[in-house]
Order: sequence, then structure tokens, then C-alpha cells
Amino acid sequence: MSKVIEVPEVLDHRGFEELVATLGGLPEASASRLLFNAKHVRWVSPYGLIGLLAAAQVSRDRTGLSPRIEAPDNRDVRSYLDRMEFWPAAHDVFDMEPGSAPSHGTSDALLEITPIRSHHDVHTVVEKVRERSAAILEKRLHYPKPSVIQFSVMLSEVCQNIIEHADADGWVCAQTYNYRERLGREVLMLAVMDVGMGFEGSLGSEHARRYGESWSAAMALEAALLYGESRFRDPGRGQGLQAIRRQVEKWDGMLAIRSGDAQIALVPDWDDYPSMQRSLPAFPGAQILIVMPARTEEVR
Amino acid sequence: MSSESGPAIAVASLYQPNLVTRQTGRAVRDGIERLMAERGETIAVIDFRDVAVIDFSCADEVVAKLVMGSAGETGDALPRFVLVRGVREHHLDPVEGALRRRGLAVSAERIGGEPVLLGEVEPEAVAAWRMLAACGRVRTEELARRLGVDSGSCASLLAGLLRRRLVRRNGDAFESLSFSASSASNPSDRIPHAKG
Repeated sequence: MSKVIEVPEVLDHRGFEELVATLGGLPEASASRLLFNAKHVRWVSPYGLIGLLAAAQVSRDRTGLSPRIEAPDNRDVRSYLDRMEFWPAAHDVFDMEPGSAPSHGTSDALLEITPIRSHHDVHTVVEKVRERSAAILEKRLHYPKPSVIQFSVMLSEVCQNIIEHADADGWVCAQTYNYRERLGREVLMLAVMDVGMGFEGSLGSEHARRYGESWSAAMALEAALLYGESRFRDPGRGQGLQAIRRQVEKWDGMLAIRSGDAQIALVPDWDDYPSMQRSLPAFPGAQILIVMPARTEEVR
Repeated sequence: MSSESGPAIAVASLYQPNLVTRQTGRAVRDGIERLMAERGETIAVIDFRDVAVIDFSCADEVVAKLVMGSAGETGDALPRFVLVRGVREHHLDPVEGALRRRGLAVSAERIGGEPVLLGEVEPEAVAAWRMLAACGRVRTEELARRLGVDSGSCASLLAGLLRRRLVRRNGDAFESLSFSASSASNPSDRIPHAKG
């Protein structure tokens, strides 16, 4: 018999936390198959979308059984999942009937859900995004022309974080939408996730001894994001995340990195997200959220 | 070490638009290093004209590590130089970022041919490098006169630039890498397309 995991109605970064808390509450040795009930989902963000895949992957790793999924009833949500190529990616982690992944063909997404397994995938993502981002960043979000290339660089670095540090596969996706709740204008949301070793594990071999017992996921996140430290001794390493941070700050954007039981964030004036959260429900790997707001007249 | 016949010129035209990922960078650098290894004194000309996107990781692997090797920091005693050509505005941040992180610098030319020094160099040395780039080839005394400094100070600046492989010595004069590369008569080699 399946154990049912209720997927939050609003599946954004907050909804993802609810999902993680629910998963964390399951008995560790539970060998029963899980069912992710997404029937009541009425809104989903790119972060929530790949968060659902990550949660499924983790439950599969824990139980040894691929979970099942109940698709959302809401027609708009279903259409969005189709357009973002959710179902082909879901086939890799959920127990689904063969051929039950609807193929949408064309999409208005900046970047549909794309698995990141090797550096070839990073090339694919950068190639895919270059043309589309010109239309979206320049015309819809009013970013200057060079931002198209800067976005590609950021995308490449954030995806490489999976290849270089996770020791596991991951996913990336990006989409624009109207962020009425916070800003009253459009934003571009970029989400990248893996369920690999996480920052604490990745940096631990090089840095944990120095910090002793106080070494934690929060310290690892601070070391990587604020001080450019990496698991490699090579001084050329660790600059990707630093470059992402500088770029997001320049664009007045928001950057949040969750890993283990902590989350660090660069928070712009328009958001009230906490800059550091500790003692969150533990979740493996790294989950990265970048939000870039449309440029207003004053900053153009 | 100077060479009467001039250095070999190895041209690496990076004709792939997206120069991203460390693995790609390593493959490109390996190709350039193989060509350089077959020669004595070499100037590797890396042509960025067709590069639309270069990320920090790839810039570190292709430019910074190549410069690090050519500057003798890996124990390589052969005089090897790196000249980056076709630099556009959007290449600057990743390439300079990668070089500065390691305290390195490279001689470069913007897309229109204007010489530019990328990376970390002291202001006095930058002034000397710029003057030398404007002259193409010049003796120490003449450069000192143009800079308005004494010969000893100028010789010291040039020695620093030479040690970092940002200029080249030829007989009793110093040359900018652009001058040496454009006046060399030997045939060029091209690095094959590399995607890692």
C-alpha cells in the first residue's frame, strides 16, 4: 500500500519547504512506495517544479522504490507542466506507465526542465537559451543587450556547480512570470537543483578540520558564497559562484542556495527573505533559486 | 633567451561560439599546449573573434592556466608566450576575473587591434607595456626616454614584464607580442575545434 505525500497547493520555494518537511517526517526505514498527490496543486513555480523531481528522487533513494504521482487537476497547471517538459523528466524518477509523458512540442519557456548529467548538457543549455533569452531579457524584462551573454555565463556556472561538486545528476529550468505578490512586475526565475553531496559534503574534505565541530551546512554555504572557497586548493576554483553573486547583485536580483539543513540568500530591498536559515529540515544536495526582476524606468 | 629567426606562431582560432565548462577549457588548452610543445620559442595566439560566450571556469582553464604554464610557474623553462586576439567587451569580465584570481596577466588585442593588458599588473609596468606596444620594438634607453624614467628603472620594469612573458626580448631590443607575432614569417598552426 502506498503512503500518500500531499503536494502543497502552491508549489513554489515555500511549498517546496513544506514538501521537504513532510518527507523528513517519514520513518527512515519505511519501505512502502510513496504517492505524491499533486491533484490539488493550483500554482507551481520553476523551483517548485524541479523541487518535486528532487523530492521524488530522494524518496526513491530512501525507500528503494520509485514513487508514484497523481497529476494536478487544474488545467492551467497541467498545461504548464506539459510546456515545461515535466513529464519526460518525471519518467526518470517516478514510477509511471510507459508512454504516459505528454510531449508538448513548442514552448514559451525560457528553458524547459533539462537534466544536467555532464558538461555536454551545460553546452546544450547555453545553446538553447541564447536565442530565447535575447527576446525575453531585452524585450520583456528590459535588460541591456550584454545581459544576454551575462545570463548565459551565469547559467553555465550554476549548472557546472552540479557537475563539479554534486557527484549526482541535477535539473535546471527557467521561466518568466508576473511576480505580483512581491513586486507587481515580471521576473525571470532560474532554478537549479541536485540531490548530491551538498555544500557541507563538498567543502568538508578541505575545510571541515579547520572549523572542527562547528562545521555545518550553514558554514559551508557562507564559505562558498561569501568567501569564494571551494573543495579544491587551486585558487582558480570557486570563482563561478562569486561571479553569479556579483551578477545577481548588479541586477538587483535574489539568490538563495539551500543545502543540507541551511539556506543562504542575497536579499534585495524588494524581498524580505531571511539571509540565513539554519535548522531547516535536512535535504540532500543543493537547491539554487535566482530571481531577476524586470528593469524599471529608473534603472534602465 | 632570444631567437634570431623569431618565435614560432601557433594560432588557436576558437571558432566555437560557446566556450563554456572546465572540461571544454581543458580540451582547448591541451590542444594549444601540444602545439607549443612541438616547438621551441612560441607565441600562442588565441583568437577570440568567434567566441560569443566564455564563462569563468573555461577562461580559467584556457587563458589563466596557459599563461601560468607559459610564465614558467609549472617549471617549464622554454620561452613561451600567450597573446589573446579579438577581445570584445563581454570577454573581459571572465578572462580578467580568472587572471586576477591567480595574480596573472596576459597581452591582448581588442577586436579592432588595440593593445590591452588583461589581469593584474602594477600601474608603472602597465605604462611601460603600453609604450612598448605603441612602439612595437624598442631598446631600453629609448623606452626610458619616452617614459621619462631612468634606464635602471626602465630595465627593471622590462625585466618584470619579460619574466611574466608579457613582452619578448629580441637581440638588444624588446618587442610587444603583437609586433613579434605580426612580423614572424613562419607558417601558423591552427588548433582543431575542441568541445571537450
